[in-house]
Amino acid sequence: MPSIESLNQIGLNHYLALSAIIFSFGMIGVLMRKNVIVMLMSIELMLNAVNLSFIAFSNFTANLNGQIMVFFVMTIAAAEAGVGLAIAVMIYKKFKEINIRYFEQLRG
Amino acid sequence: MDQNSLLFAILLGAPLVGFFINGLNFRSHNSKLSGSIATGAAIISFIAAALLVKELIHLPPEARQIKSSFFSWMAVGDFSVDAAFLVDAISAIMILVITGVGSLIHLFSVGYMAHDEKPAKYFAYLNLFLFNMLLLVLGDNLLVMFVGWEGVGLCSYLLIGFWYTDPAKAAAGMKAFITNRIGDAGFLIGIFILFLTFGTVTFTDLLSRLPSVAEVGWTGPITLASLALFIGATGKSAQMPLYVWLPDAMAGPTPVSALIHAATMVTAGVYMIVRLSGLFVLAPNAMLVVACVGAFTALFAATIGLTQWDIKKVLAYSTVSQLGYMFLAAGVGAFGAAMFHLMTHAFFKALMFLGSGSVIHAMHEEQDIRKMGGLRKQMPITHATFFVGWLAIIGFPMLSGFMSKDEILWKSYSSSAGHPLLWFVGVVAAACTSFYMTRLMALTFWGGSRVPKETHPHESPPTMTIPLIVLGILSLVGGWIGIPHVIGALIPGHPENYLEHWLAPALATVPMEEGSSILEFSLMGISVSLAAIAAWFAFDFYVVHPERPKAVAAWFGRFYEAVSNKYWVDEIYQARIIQPIVDGSKALWAYVDVGFVDRLTYFASDVVLGAGGMLRSMQNGRTQQYALYIALGLAITIYWVLVG
Amino acid sequence: MMSLGPAMFYVFAAILVFFALSVIMSPNPVHSALYLVLTMISLAGVYFHLNAQFIAGVQLIVYAGAVMVLFVMVIMLFDIKQELRAFTKGLISGALKVASAAFVAGYLIGTFKDVSVGSQSASLAGNTDITKELALMLYSKYVLAFEVLGLLLLVVAVGAVAVSRVKGGTHAKH
Repeated sequence: MPSIESLNQIGLNHYLALSAIIFSFGMIGVLMRKNVIVMLMSIELMLNAVNLSFIAFSNFTANLNGQIMVFFVMTIAAAEAGVGLAIAVMIYKKFKEINIRYFEQLRG
Repeated sequence: MDQNSLLFAILLGAPLVGFFINGLNFRSHNSKLSGSIATGAAIISFIAAALLVKELIHLPPEARQIKSSFFSWMAVGDFSVDAAFLVDAISAIMILVITGVGSLIHLFSVGYMAHDEKPAKYFAYLNLFLFNMLLLVLGDNLLVMFVGWEGVGLCSYLLIGFWYTDPAKAAAGMKAFITNRIGDAGFLIGIFILFLTFGTVTFTDLLSRLPSVAEVGWTGPITLASLALFIGATGKSAQMPLYVWLPDAMAGPTPVSALIHAATMVTAGVYMIVRLSGLFVLAPNAMLVVACVGAFTALFAATIGLTQWDIKKVLAYSTVSQLGYMFLAAGVGAFGAAMFHLMTHAFFKALMFLGSGSVIHAMHEEQDIRKMGGLRKQMPITHATFFVGWLAIIGFPMLSGFMSKDEILWKSYSSSAGHPLLWFVGVVAAACTSFYMTRLMALTFWGGSRVPKETHPHESPPTMTIPLIVLGILSLVGGWIGIPHVIGALIPGHPENYLEHWLAPALATVPMEEGSSILEFSLMGISVSLAAIAAWFAFDFYVVHPERPKAVAAWFGRFYEAVSNKYWVDEIYQARIIQPIVDGSKALWAYVDVGFVDRLTYFASDVVLGAGGMLRSMQNGRTQQYALYIALGLAITIYWVLVG
Repeated sequence: MMSLGPAMFYVFAAILVFFALSVIMSPNPVHSALYLVLTMISLAGVYFHLNAQFIAGVQLIVYAGAVMVLFVMVIMLFDIKQELRAFTKGLISGALKVASAAFVAGYLIGTFKDVSVGSQSASLAGNTDITKELALMLYSKYVLAFEVLGLLLLVVAVGAVAVSRVKGGTHAKH
């Protein structure tokens, strides 16, 4: 049972807990949504959760490396969204629907 | 590389290069070109062999060995074998015969195969055979010898079945190969026993490690090894009971019969025993077996030869019979006589086979002597040379066959390992030989012509007659290097027995009785007069009174039937050995293979398939399922790291 | 700037959790996208209070702006409407998925609970040159990674065009 003090004193642990919750939401979205675009959004959610923990660590340890890392994550996220959406476009062109099931057709 | 290694390399390399040139160009129809290449390779090889023997002659008699090791073939622990070659007195004779007679037969083939569809292939095989045969005789250890041994078997198979579109010929090739396999198994077992006992497979090491006392009984390692090696020899050299492949091997082209199945390959067994003479003399019981099998085969095959109608079959049984003589000689310890007969036989039998090839060529592939006769007029050169061969094989005094055969007969009588009975069998076989050879001459060349009207026999081209003439001369004078002492004493200048001197340092000896020369002369007289009488009978039967043979055959009745059916040996093998093996194999297939092995393997594959099927449902291509595995893995990892 | 007070933190946390949940629960992808924009804007606010002012700005411009516009454009391009079934089938696997996600979150939270609060003494609070330092780091220590990422973006731009283009270019005859 967390003490009153720990509830009142907002610290690193609170941000990390928030980050974990958002991350698990993203996970559920990726695992369960049918629509590829919503899955991609869920991935963005997960990445944002990680970013939050980076920023929190950066703040509470007075170390700017975490913020730099967030830059890079953002860039990667943008790239991933671009490619993922391009694939989604192709899937839609072929099947007239963006269901994750059609990714079964992606075979060598 | 010193000079001798170079000579070895040329000797072995020339036929191999010829094989590759013709083998890579096997679609060529140009028989002149491929024939020239092959013949050239053989002649180069012969020159190298002659130079090598010249080197050998310059060495002192006790040290007449030239060795050359090319590379280490295999080295396993203490055991190592080199690809090493050895020329000594014994193999010197062999390489001269192989390359010399081989060259002549290559030359003959150029004419004989002129109209064949795949001459390049033929000459490639012939060169490959030459290479393997040289490997066999030059190998300085049993394993190199075995490689050659197998190689000549392969070439023999390829050449017997050379016209493989004819099922009978293909089957003959297979028969030769399979029969040889049985012998080869014996040979291998012999090598194993020798290696187990003496720890080496090199000839010189082996002979130096042998004990000095002869082995008694049947189960000693030396006796067992000798017998196993002899089984190998019976396969390769067509002795009882594995001789059955050689008559069928006549399905191949006739020059092949001359080279492989008369002059060289079939003598490999004799050569092997002579090479290991030091081993065999220590196993008197094995020697006895060799002598008995040899003598029996000589007589047995000679009787079959009496009744054959196929010109090549007669010669084939004659070859089996003559090989029997060589084993008889080896078995009584007259290894020099065995080598001598091997050499003279190579001359006159190659001559007769080539002569028969010339006849067959002239007769448009007809081989039945009942459809020949009177060919003397149309084919004078072939007839003349064949005549010389005939005189040599029936043992006409002073010709090569006489020298070697009578030396064998004398040694089988006088040697401490010999027995008068062996001599008697040999003499009877010699009489039979004289009869069937005269019969062959009479039916083919003499008497009236029975040639069908549409065939017009003609003399063969020079490429075929030149080898005949050369071999004819060799058959005439080839025996003079080994003139027996008793005859040499009568000739002015007293020529020695050169061959015996030459071979003596390389051979083991068995004590010989110094029989009186009167005894030797009288035995010689008996065999010569018996042969002469048999020849006269044959001449009388087939030329003077052609109606008599039928009457005589009827008089012998059942015995004649047995002989003309080759004692039903093939039928007995078929019924007693081959059929049971086939039936047993079928039973094994139906019960063991299908019922047990297959079911076992099917069970194993079912288990794997089932497990794979279960696991496959995990790998179904659904992206989110995969993501779930990642999530589960993450959960487990977190549990492991943070809690566990 | 100091970190958020308790009240403000809980308000932000509640908003974030609500929006994030809405992203994955909304049956209409357009709504999902809009909730994601809201999530990101809220996150930008949190970043701002965690002394990452520049990152907060980038979050607003790049994420909530550019990336989300991309998403919305694709959705509009395909004319995606409300979905009848937003979630994949399978009760057991669904339960397994939720359980594993909950397990991950639960264990992480359970562990973070004990993270030392003493580290709060070291804070970026009071550092007024954060953006400047960030720029210096980015162009000195991390310059190679920065350049490589630039290259990656170029490759992705070309790759996305190559993947989604119709064979034969824009004027291809079908």
